[in-house]
Parts: sequence; structure tokens; C-alpha cells
Amino acid sequence: MAENTTKASKGVFAATVTSNRQIGRRFYRLGLDLKGSAAEVFAGYKAGQFVQIDLSGTALPPQEAIAEELRDTSSRNIILRRPFSFADFTVKVGRISAEILYGVVGPSTVRMTTLRSGDTVSVIGPLGNGFWVPEGKKLAMLISGGIGTGPLLYLAKSLTNNYAGIEPIAFAGAKTKEDLPFEGKLDRIAQDLGFSVGEYARYGIRSQVATDDGSVGFAGLVTDCMAEWIRQNNPNPREMIIYSCGPLAMLERIAKVTTERNIDCQLSMEEMMACGIGVCQCCAVACKGANPNETIYKLCCKDGPVFDAKDLVINS
Amino acid sequence: MNEAVDLAVEFAGLKLANPVFTASGTCGYADELADFIDVNKLGGFITKSITLKPRKGNPPQRGVETDSGMLNAIGLANIGVENFIAEKVPLIEKMTVPVFVNVAGSTIDEYVTVAEKLARQKAIAGIELNISCPNVSKGGITFGTDPMQVNEITSMVKKAVGEKVLMVKLSPCVTDISITARAAVEGGANALSLVNTFTAMVVDIETGRPALANKTGGLSGPAIKPIAVYLVNKVYNEVAKAANVPIMGLGGIRTASDAIEFIIAGATAVAVGTATFIDPTSAVKITEGIRKYCTRKNKSIKELVGSLQV
Repeated sequence: MAENTTKASKGVFAATVTSNRQIGRRFYRLGLDLKGSAAEVFAGYKAGQFVQIDLSGTALPPQEAIAEELRDTSSRNIILRRPFSFADFTVKVGRISAEILYGVVGPSTVRMTTLRSGDTVSVIGPLGNGFWVPEGKKLAMLISGGIGTGPLLYLAKSLTNNYAGIEPIAFAGAKTKEDLPFEGKLDRIAQDLGFSVGEYARYGIRSQVATDDGSVGFAGLVTDCMAEWIRQNNPNPREMIIYSCGPLAMLERIAKVTTERNIDCQLSMEEMMACGIGVCQCCAVACKGANPNETIYKLCCKDGPVFDAKDLVINS
Repeated sequence: MNEAVDLAVEFAGLKLANPVFTASGTCGYADELADFIDVNKLGGFITKSITLKPRKGNPPQRGVETDSGMLNAIGLANIGVENFIAEKVPLIEKMTVPVFVNVAGSTIDEYVTVAEKLARQKAIAGIELNISCPNVSKGGITFGTDPMQVNEITSMVKKAVGEKVLMVKLSPCVTDISITARAAVEGGANALSLVNTFTAMVVDIETGRPALANKTGGLSGPAIKPIAVYLVNKVYNEVAKAANVPIMGLGGIRTASDAIEFIIAGATAVAVGTATFIDPTSAVKITEGIRKYCTRKNKSIKELVGSLQV
């Protein structure tokens, strides 16, 4: 057989768990090391891309350690992998260190909490298309809802390291203070200075938080907090871009606003995936076709997960 | 190559290097798994369903996980036979293993037209007739559950494909699968593949609605394997063995031992489906596992097929 000279762009790899830190009532950060051929293939990983992790062989915690509302579903015998984006990613000599920010919401993430340093997990990746930076941008607004903050944290780092001409500013929203997936205390002084979230402040990026119940930061939706900031600061729409990840309702609101005002916007979408590599066709996302009224389905895993908001069919 | 045993097996006149295929709808049209496996190491390849016209498929949510399985309701999303021939057949021409194209439709004419077009493609070894898709409103499973219609569609498509191998994919959603199997064999099927997915439903108890937009979907994965093994054995004993028509066994195969169960039960070849979603290298790993088993038992595939001791 002819030698296969094209280098694989993705693959199935073993990753080593380096840490698994609880950072809130239901949030964790999982550290992974990728070595050898995995490190080579992952070297080009872009913020917003993702990996599929096999947690089917990972142990459940003891019943009493599982939140009561998750006990029914967590006992389910899972078979499919789960998609996660990296919240941090560092290329080191001969290896890559990555971190996943995750929330405990179902049978896979309940199992994920039992991973310990030294464990091995199977990952497929890097998958999908990450965020990209169009020409002529000076301001990047990073808007996240709940656990959707994960990929935006690494995007913040990439923008800081690679785009000196772009000023990022971040907005993170959740129902309550407890639903914000951050390690720091969100103290008042930092908020007053405009650096609410330590995870963004470490890159010198200003941030604000919003909670539906007003338990911390702006009282209301993160999209209203964002709109308020735009009203006050009046940035040039052509020089700005909005990057967002979070619940569908939030993404739809953002898509509507940015399409109306002709602001560049990229959304990281989520849809149930089985394979993550484009063969199962489960993760259909409604997109605009060639004709104005035509809806086509693109695949979240292969055509996304990051989409240009203008290409999406948004429910109003 | 230094191989302990030969896994070669003949399947409806096709010479296979080993009995492991990737199942329709789980491996794309041709080269989608190329990043992960060399598809030429498989016994053969079955494309996703092709219809006469392109289909955009069902709205989301299209899939949901279940205990040891999953439901899907993709709705035969595909690029249509013309695009398939223009864009994908050139890729299939480069493959060295037999390729079956899975064909679906909503009328007999549609099946026949698509099969005729594909039969003219030299690179295609055969057609897998999908008369068992549970996720479309017209055609699909409605053809596959009525033995009269199974017979008619099989004989019409057989005429259209001529010398190419015609494999009929059977639905498990029938009272007696041997009746539909016999109808397909009498219609001229050269091979049978079984089973397709089981029609099933998941209810979201928060919304009180089905989890899938299509309401129902097809259940696949390890959850269905013991039923599929039973049905393969039943069809082998009651229809296929006497008619000398080989069976492609599938339904929840995740490991080599799963595949071997199907072969002992009566399958000449096996197809790996949902397991590819979990690990795209599954089919190749399963082939290696079968090789180890055959070496340990000092048996060929041919000796194993239908060797169930009862």
C-alpha cells in the first residue's frame, strides 16, 4: 500500500489527568496532559475547538456524594463520549497541558468528578472549528452564560497573546452567584475596578458579572449588561466582534441584536452529539441556505461548533 | 504480512479479507474515517443512505442517549444520488475493499431509479436496500414490514442492479422476521443484513415531550445486541442456511466477542455501527480481536459461521 503521507489532523489519544479541582458547588477544573503524537496533533488547537472524552469506564462517586437531583440519571449506563472545549491550553516542551472547566449536570460529568491525577482518559480531537478573528477588529466582547465560559477563557488568553491590537472585555452571566464557574471570590473591590473575574484579570482583561437574581454584579441578564456597556461606551460596530458561548436562549438574543446592528458575532453552539466527527449527523444546527427562505442543517461538530451568527436561523 | 490465521470469507460472491464492515449511517460516504483508520483494512464498507433527491433530514434534536444505547432520527439526510456519484464515487474508486451503497426511498420507482444509477458504477460492489428506516414518514420501514412489498421491491431492484450484489436490510419491528427474510430471498436478494434499529421513544419528563423532534427514533447500541443475535440465528436457521444466502449481522456490536457471537449465530459478515461513534477505530480493533480468537480456536471464519451448538 502507498505510504500515507498526509498527517492526521485528529485522532484518538490517551490523555493523563494531572488535576481535578472543585472550584464551586458544582464546578470543577480538570487538568490533562497530552504527550507524543497527541501533543503534535493538538499543537494547532484553537479556542472553541473541542475534544470528545470517553467517561463510560469512569467510576461513579458513592451515591451520597451525588446531588439528589442527579441520582436517577447518573446511574444510567452511558456509552457515548461527551464534548468539552479547553478553558486553558499551554504548549510546553514535548507536551501540552490543557484544562477543562466543567459543571456536574448528568451521568458523565458526575463520573468525571472521580478522575484523579495519574488516571488516563481517552480523548478524540482536536474537533470542529474554533473562533476566528476577522480583519480590522479593535474590540472583542466575550459573553458567556454559566459553564459556557470555558472556551471563552482560552479565547481570552489567545487574544491577549496573539492580537495586541485587540482589546478583549468579558461578561459572564448566570442565574445566581453559585452558578458562576469561577474560582475567585468575585470581591467588591475587583468589581469596582472592572476586573470582576480573576480568570480574566490574569490576562489583564476587564470583566463584569451578571446574575438573574442580583446575588452578585449586574442584576439581570448578561445580554442586558452587555447592551448597557455598549450604550455607555459606544464602540464602533465595525471595529468590534462579539464571541459567545452559553445557553441557546442567550445565544439567540445575542444573534438577534448583532444581526440587527450589523455587528460581527461568532457563537459556539451546542447540540446533542454522538460521534463528534461528522458521521452520525445527530448535531444538526439550522442555518440559512442559498435562498433567503431556505433552512439547511449544518453539523455542530464539523461545521461548528463556532458559527457566524449571520449564518444561523434564529428563532424569534 | 505474517498472519496467524486467514480471516478471508466469501460473501455473496465477494471475496472479503475479513468479515468486518462499518454499518450504514455510521461511517459517512467514503473517506470520513480516514483520519482514524485505513478503511482498506476492513472487510468492506457500507455507505450512509442515498436517496434520489438530496434530503436535509429531520430538525434537531436528532439523537438521545439511552441506557447502553442511543436513539437516532436523522431522517435520511444525504446529498442525493447525483451528487453522490459526482463527488463520492471517485473516492470509493480509490478504495480496495467491497463497497455497498445503502439505498432508501419513498416509492418503489425511486428505489429502482437510484439502484439503476448506482449499478452502472464499477466501483460499487452492491446495494444495501434500506427498507427498514424507522425515521421517515413515507417509505422506509413501511416497505420493510409487509412481506408482499418486501418481495416486490426486492425483485424490482434486483432487476435494476443486475449482477451487483443485492443485500436487503431487514427491520426487527415485525412479528416474525423470517417471513420478511423469506420474502426478500424469494424476491432475489443475494444477502440479508439484520437488524436495523428498533423503533423507540424517550420522554423528557420536564417538558412532557418526546426527547426527539421526530418523536420516535431508532434504538441502537449494546442494548439491542442480544435481540439482534437471536434474530440473526432465527433467520439463519429458518431461511438463510437452506437458501444459501449469507447474513450481514449487526446490532450493538462493540467488541470482537460481540462480533463472534453474531458469526456463531449464523452471520457470515458483521457490521459495526454505534461503536464507531464511541471509537472510530472500533471496526479495526474488532477485526484484530476476531483474528486472535480464530488463532486461539484454530478455526476459520467459514467454520464458525452458524456453528452454534444446541
